[in-house]
Amino acid sequence: MFRTIQIAGALAMLTCVTGFGQEKAQPLETGTFHGKVHNTSGRATIYKEADGRLLLRLTNFKTSNGPDVHVVLIAAKDADDDANFLKSSTEKLELGALKGNEGDQNYDIPAGTDLKKFQTVSIYCERFNANFGAAPLQKF
Amino acid sequence: MTIHASTWLVRRKWILAAVGLPVLVALWWAFRPEKLWINEKVNEAAPFDTTGGPQPILTGRFEGKSQQTSGRATIYQKPGREEYLRLSDFTTSNGGDVHVLLARSGDQSLAQDASKGDLDSVDLGSLKGIQGDQDYDLPRATDLNKYDAVVVYSEQSHAVFGVAKLEPF
Repeated sequence: MFRTIQIAGALAMLTCVTGFGQEKAQPLETGTFHGKVHNTSGRATIYKEADGRLLLRLTNFKTSNGPDVHVVLIAAKDADDDANFLKSSTEKLELGALKGNEGDQNYDIPAGTDLKKFQTVSIYCERFNANFGAAPLQKF
Repeated sequence: MTIHASTWLVRRKWILAAVGLPVLVALWWAFRPEKLWINEKVNEAAPFDTTGGPQPILTGRFEGKSQQTSGRATIYQKPGREEYLRLSDFTTSNGGDVHVLLARSGDQSLAQDASKGDLDSVDLGSLKGIQGDQDYDLPRATDLNKYDAVVVYSEQSHAVFGVAKLEPF
């Protein structure tokens, strides 16, 4: 009887430990948004999840609502407010349409993305090729 | 004559509508002006566990002042609400009696070298090492709204080595 309890306890502990390990995500890089023209603020953080997937999470986030706004990573150290990436031929990596102009939100980053190259998160209005706000990322 | 004029007017109105309406629709589609007043709020949870274990609440990068200083300062909150400061990726210069302080980022004394007497600060202790990750306990009930910067400070030369302004994580 005691032995069974012991084994059950050990098993419970084991699943607890492994369960915790699986849920752990490490912040790799983080930065805050700047953007005066379209009042963009908040934090962007790239996490590496336990299974190796990369995830961008926006927190305390706010920008102005607009047409066709997307979240992109750009291959630059930073971006000027209202910069036009089409004109400056800045390389972009699309992460998806902005889910909301206010609040916490998550975006998957494609596997194999080179974060040494894509160093800035931009809230980008595709229709007018305008940068609403940018968050240069730095090591957490 | 009057009949002719009125039919022309009616036709022109129709042309105006035929041209004007698509133009208006196109302008609306391009600019979506109603979005100026409509906010789309979202509140996605983190897809990973954020309970248990210390959580980062404030963070910032060091800027070198009188000495090259770089790295990150992060304030963590433990489940019991106790807070501690962690320096990571950290490097500064050797100096006499170097301390880690919390100060107000707007403090004028930070701009130039100042004796600590002028600097409104909370002393977290002697710097443990000039390179590498290190933790410092915060006194209970430290007002982090007021003290929003981490300062590496030499007591001996009254020099501000570096400052990290903290922002919400």
